Parts: sequence; C-alpha cells; structure tokens
Amino acid sequence: MVKYISLTIDGAKISVPEGTTVLDAALEYGICIPNLCHVRELEPIGVCRVCLVEVVENGRSRVTASCALRAKEGMVVLAHSEKVLKARRVVAEMLVAEAPNSRAVQDLAVKCGVTEVRFPFRNNDCVLCGRCVRVCSEVWRAQALGFVGRGKDRHVALPFNTRPEFCKRCWSCIAVCPMTITPCAGPMKVGEEYLCAQCESQLSMSQNIEDSCTWCRLGEGFQCARWADVATSARP
Amino acid sequence: MPKMLGPDALLGWAKKERQEREKFESTVQICADTGCRASGSGVVVKALRNEVERQGLQDKVNIRETGCHGFCEQGPLMVIEPGNIFYGKVTPEDVPEIVSETLLNNRVVERLCYVDSISGERIIKESDVPFYKAQDRTILGQNKVVDPFDISAYVANGGYSALARVLTSMEPEEVISEIQESGLRGRGGGGYPTGRKWEQCRAADGYEKYVICNADEGDPGAYMDRSVLEGNPHVVLEGMMIGAFAIGAQQGYIYVRNEYPLAVKHSKKAISDARDAGLLGEDILGSGFSFDVKVMRGAGAFVCGESTALMASVEGKVGEPRPKDVHTVEKGLYGRPTTLNNVETWANVPGIINKGAEWFAAKGTARSKGTKIFALTGMVKNTGLVEVPMGTPLRTIVFDIGGGSANGSAIKAVQTGGPSGGCLPTEKFDLPVDFEALSEAGSMVGSGGMVVMDESTCMVDVARYFLAFLMDESCGKCAPCRIGLDRMLEIVTDITEGRGTAEKLALLEDVAETVQVASLCALGKTAPNPVLSTLRYFRAEYDAHIRERRCPAGVCRALITYSIDTEACTGCGACLRACPHEAVSGAKKEPHVIDQELCQKCGICRDECKFDAVVVQ
Repeated sequence: MVKYISLTIDGAKISVPEGTTVLDAALEYGICIPNLCHVRELEPIGVCRVCLVEVVENGRSRVTASCALRAKEGMVVLAHSEKVLKARRVVAEMLVAEAPNSRAVQDLAVKCGVTEVRFPFRNNDCVLCGRCVRVCSEVWRAQALGFVGRGKDRHVALPFNTRPEFCKRCWSCIAVCPMTITPCAGPMKVGEEYLCAQCESQLSMSQNIEDSCTWCRLGEGFQCARWADVATSARP
Repeated sequence: MPKMLGPDALLGWAKKERQEREKFESTVQICADTGCRASGSGVVVKALRNEVERQGLQDKVNIRETGCHGFCEQGPLMVIEPGNIFYGKVTPEDVPEIVSETLLNNRVVERLCYVDSISGERIIKESDVPFYKAQDRTILGQNKVVDPFDISAYVANGGYSALARVLTSMEPEEVISEIQESGLRGRGGGGYPTGRKWEQCRAADGYEKYVICNADEGDPGAYMDRSVLEGNPHVVLEGMMIGAFAIGAQQGYIYVRNEYPLAVKHSKKAISDARDAGLLGEDILGSGFSFDVKVMRGAGAFVCGESTALMASVEGKVGEPRPKDVHTVEKGLYGRPTTLNNVETWANVPGIINKGAEWFAAKGTARSKGTKIFALTGMVKNTGLVEVPMGTPLRTIVFDIGGGSANGSAIKAVQTGGPSGGCLPTEKFDLPVDFEALSEAGSMVGSGGMVVMDESTCMVDVARYFLAFLMDESCGKCAPCRIGLDRMLEIVTDITEGRGTAEKLALLEDVAETVQVASLCALGKTAPNPVLSTLRYFRAEYDAHIRERRCPAGVCRALITYSIDTEACTGCGACLRACPHEAVSGAKKEPHVIDQELCQKCGICRDECKFDAVVVQ
C-alpha cells in the first residue's frame, strides 16, 4: 500500500506518496517552481539550483534544491520566500549569461524575474544541467556521454571525443537538451544584455501572469502549452 | 609482538614497556615530523645517534623521534627529559655539545635555548616558553611522548586502555551517551555534535556500517590533521575503534591525501602493528568485536574533504558531492550508514572515555567544548601548531602565543577557517574561538587554519587569492559555485586592476550572497566568506580601489606607482643595479629617478634600498 505523506508548501497543505520529491509534489499541486536539470524519469542531481526552496525545520530555515529533497511528514516548505526568489533570480541570471541564445534558458530566466543580465555573455551553449548525460546512462544504460574536467573546465563529452560503438543513436540526449529548441537570434548579443521576452517563446507573456498559476505544469518540459493559451487569451 | 588476547594481557604489556623505558636515565625527544624535517631534523637525529654511540651511552639515553611538537618556527626542536630542557634550531654541529654537556653533566647549553622576544631572557624549560605556556596541549602534547612508528610506546603511555574499557565494561549506548555528554563537536569545520551523529548512525537501518576518518586536509597553510596522524596515528585508530564499536561498524577507512606520504606511511604501519597485536581484526581483545581499517589515498582534490565527495572517491567514483538531503549517517559509503569524522575528532575520543565526559566538558564555552588545534601562520613571530581550549580569544592566540607581528608593522586581520573562512579585523580579536561566535562574525572555526595579516596586505587582493584557489578547487558540478565563483573572481580581479565600478561591487555582493545560499555543498556555501567578510570589515579598501583607483596597502600592481624620495635618496645606486628592467636612472651621489614607463612594479628596488627612499603610492 502506498503511504501518503502530508507537507505544507507555501501554506498549502498537500499530501503525496512517500518518496515524492518536493518539486514533483509542488508541480503536481500547481505550485510553480522553475527548474532546469530536473527530469521526472531521472535520478535528481540538483545541479542547476533553480528549483531552490526554503525548508523550515525546528525554527531554522535552510535553502536547498527541491528536486533532490524528498517530502517528509510535516515538512514546511516556502517556495516563494524573498530569499528564495532572490537566489533563484541571480542563479538564472548566471545561467542565461552562459547560454544567452537558448530560448529555454531565457524563458527560465524571465520566469525567475530576470530582466537584465549584468554579466558579460559567454555563449558556452551549455549550462551543464547534465540531462543528456543522465538520460544516456540511466534510461539507456549506454553511458556514451559523460562529464569531463572539473570546475571551469567541466564539460560534456563523448569518450575520447568520438561517438562510441555503444551509443544507441537514440538521440535522447538531444531531445532533453535545453539548447536544442530553436535558438533565439534576437537581441542577446554582447553589449545588449537584456531579456526582451518578446520572441515566440511560449513564456514570453509570463510577466503578465501571476507567479503561482494553478494550471501550469512547467517542469514537464521547457515549453508549456497551457502558458501559451493563457498568454494568448490574456492579450488585449 | 604477541597477540593480546584480553585486556589483562594489554595491561601487562603496557607495564612491561613502561619498566623498559624507566631504565633510561634521560630521554631526548626530537621532532621528526614534516616541519622540522624540512629544517634538517633528520641529520640531527643521525648525528645524535652516532654521538651517543661514540660516547657509549646507548643504554642510558633514549632517543625518540616524535611527531610534531608544534613550534615549527624554531625547528628542529629538541626536548630533553628530565628537566624539560628546550632547544630550538638545533644543528648537527650542536650535537656533541648537547651530549657532553646536557646528557652527561646535566648542564644547559644556553646558546640553544629560546630567547623571549619581549623580555630578552633565555628560557630553559619548554613549559615556560610563552608559545607553549598559554596552550592546553591535550591532543598535540601526546605527540611528544609517543613514537609514531612504535605501537609499544603508545601502549606504554596508556594507549588502547580506553578501547579495553569500552570493550569490557561498556554498552555501545553508554559510549554514545558519554560522547554526547562531553559536548564533542566535529573538528573538521561543521561543528556537528559527534555523539548525535553516532546515535543517528547506530539507529539507521543496515547490517553493514562504516566509519571513516577524514584526513583530507587541503587548506593552504593548515597541517594540524596531518601532524596528529603523523605524530600519533594510534590515538586516531583507537578513536575509530571506539566509534565503530558504538555504531556497530566492522570496517573503517582512513582517507588521507597522497601528498602526505608520512601520514600514509605512519597510518599504514599503525594499522598493521595494531593487527599484529590483536587490536584490529577478528575478536578484538577476546570481546567478540571485530573491526578492521584500510587506508585510502586521495589524489589531492580539495573538494574530497567534503563528506559525500570523499565517499564517492572511496568508492572509486569521481570525487563530487551529492545533495545531502539524505544524510550520510543513513546512506553514506556504498549507500550504507556511515560515520565520518575528522582526525582531530577521533583523536579526542579515547581521552573522553578515559577521563570522562565532565573532564572534557569542563573546557571551552557553553556550546563548544574541549580544545582545538589551530595552524597559526602568516605575519606572526611564532608560527606553528597551537592547541587552545575553545573560547580562547583570538587576541591570546595571535599576540600571547603567536608573539604579535613578525616584522613590527601593525596586525590588520586574521583569517580563520582556511580558504573559505572570513577575515576578521583587530576590533574582533576579543571574539572567542567558538563555532557560533565566529560564524556570526562572518567567519568560521573551520578546520583550524589561522592566517595573520599585517598592514602590508591588501584585503581585496586576499579575497582575490582565495577566490582563485576555491575556483580552481570547485568540482564544477553545481551552477552557483562553478559560474558564481568565476564571476566573482572576474569582478574582484577587475577591482584590483583598476576597472572596478560601484555597480559591479553591488553585483559582487548579490552573487556572493547567492552562492552562499544556493550552492550544493559546503565548499560553495562557504566560498564567498572571504569576499563577504572583507566587504563587511574592509569596505573602505574596496572603495579606495574603485573610487580613487588606489591600493592603500600598495599591493595591487595596476594601482600603485614606485617613486624615489629625493630627500631620503643618497644616490648609492643599489636600486639602479638591482632593477631588472633598467627603470632607475641617476648619477652617483645624486637622487635617482624611476621611469614609470619602464617600471614593472616588482618591488626589488624597495627591498634593496637601505634608506627607505623608495615610496609606493
């Protein structure tokens, strides 16, 4: 029998099966927590740090990534405290400066309240969310991709930079990559570091919409069809 | 070595070893640890052995090559018992005199004694040396009396008696409550209550559990864990055995970095000796408790000092931390309950069992108990390892023990807690070293590094240096640490090179605060400390760099100019000859001039000038 656990997220009392992560629980109940490296089918890795939440325990609060945090009985989670929103915003700002042409990352940044990027762009075209590496090793058991190098030099690579025999050509790595949505060729150039939120990106109207939208299931993918509907109907 | 079949056999062995040592008339304790070895203690030991043999004193003099005594600045160190005579900076040429005067005739060789820098007096006894006087050397003091390579020396000094006591007369729960009552907290930096950790690990589900000793000390300038493991490996081992008994583990690991060859060697020898003596392995001391320890060598990544990264490394994976929402006491090494403690924490355990929780809890502050070892380095007179009760004010450590500034210029700050600790100004020197007090002030006890800085240090440059170190050592797994530190370094470098702006400073603060809350592991969470603490206490220096394009300490090359004071310059030509860039010109006996176009700001002219005529602005 599935054991249910009740917890509080942003004041809402919710109950989820044991073992559910706080992020999944929140999304399930329509509490929108932006996220990037999280894929429901994969083991949480907790590296993009966009899905940060504040957990209050014994009168002390700590900030942690909700994707790797399993719901516990009686847990009190603040997904939209000031501290969390600020941290999320700066993290998203740093991420978008690494990959300014990725529409998914742009959308995410807009969602986190970034309007201007204060860092010089780098155009790395990768934010090291590790979706590709994890889908390859966890779902396909192929391990044809891996992280190479540490710190600043960390990057995703094939073994010896050639496609190995054991790559199954499933292209899942491409499917889950936040960079593969048609990149934005817009104003994200060096010296023009601001987010216009004007392109076809389906989150472009997000600024007009309340933060906690009950029918949003952002996190299921980068592009949220419902957001588009809302956005269109909200247009004057 | 006979196998100890029970606690009585161990007692008998200890007694026999003690009697054997009492036969000697005197004992020479020479530090043969890394610091003194570097100053030449190896040759001194050889010379001493030869000289003692030449004079036929082998049966009267016991020469003991010990671990670190702590006062590394005076190395090679020698202490002669009886009499507690302290000799510093001993050379092989001094040895014949020491043997014929001190060992044969009980006369002190005065020229080798320590001279107190304040009173100018010669101090004979080690215990009277100001450096040692204000300390409480509970852990480090044992280094002097044991031989790291000889288990019998440790046993003779009451070693493994705590283990025998635990195995014969205590239940695991009793051990845990004793440690809990003592108030011992993790010495690796986190300050987590050790007893609580053990209790959680004991309560965790799992038929196989592990204990780990974290000896992956990587802070620049810190070497206390190294010295304990090198000087007294058995005390660490005994602590681990007691911990393993308490939580119910059968396997332990000592994770030590390969850059510490002596620590690796000594701990391996200690393990095999203990195994031979029946103190490790199956059925220890006939109690039915079985436990063994392996040494795992780390490749030297700073991040592997973090518990989850360390465990990944032991498992043979890439040393990267993982989210710790499930604690390692429940799912640690190989997914099994694991208790990981620092070297110093383990070394404290036998003492608590032998002397009781009250003895330990009597030292320290309300929430931080016992003693803590600090590696005192930087611009102080007496550098070395310092062990003080928790709650000792920083002032006592820097001025009473450290002897104050090394070259007479005023002390400006002390950085506590290693590279990710904060810099505290002199106004904060009355703060007690206590986990809570230091973290409230924006720094931390950390692993125990303590770097003293004087007026010639630029705090912005210090922040830049530590940021660069931490960025190099970041594993790059999580975004805030990988990108954030890089961006912070970018901004701070801009400031030191004269490109800083007020907006960038605000951004620096934003990023620093975010990295602090958002990072995955403790490395990232503490990495902004040097920046945040210097911003908090030395903001004026940042402002001078940004607004006035000036480096008050005269360190940041892009912001300083070297010039010659025409009044003070005698025209001796020393700077002219020394300048590698031929930037100094001037006739003999006439004031010289520095060509700013050619000057590379290396500072050689200032070092060469005997008249303080070279001015840095």
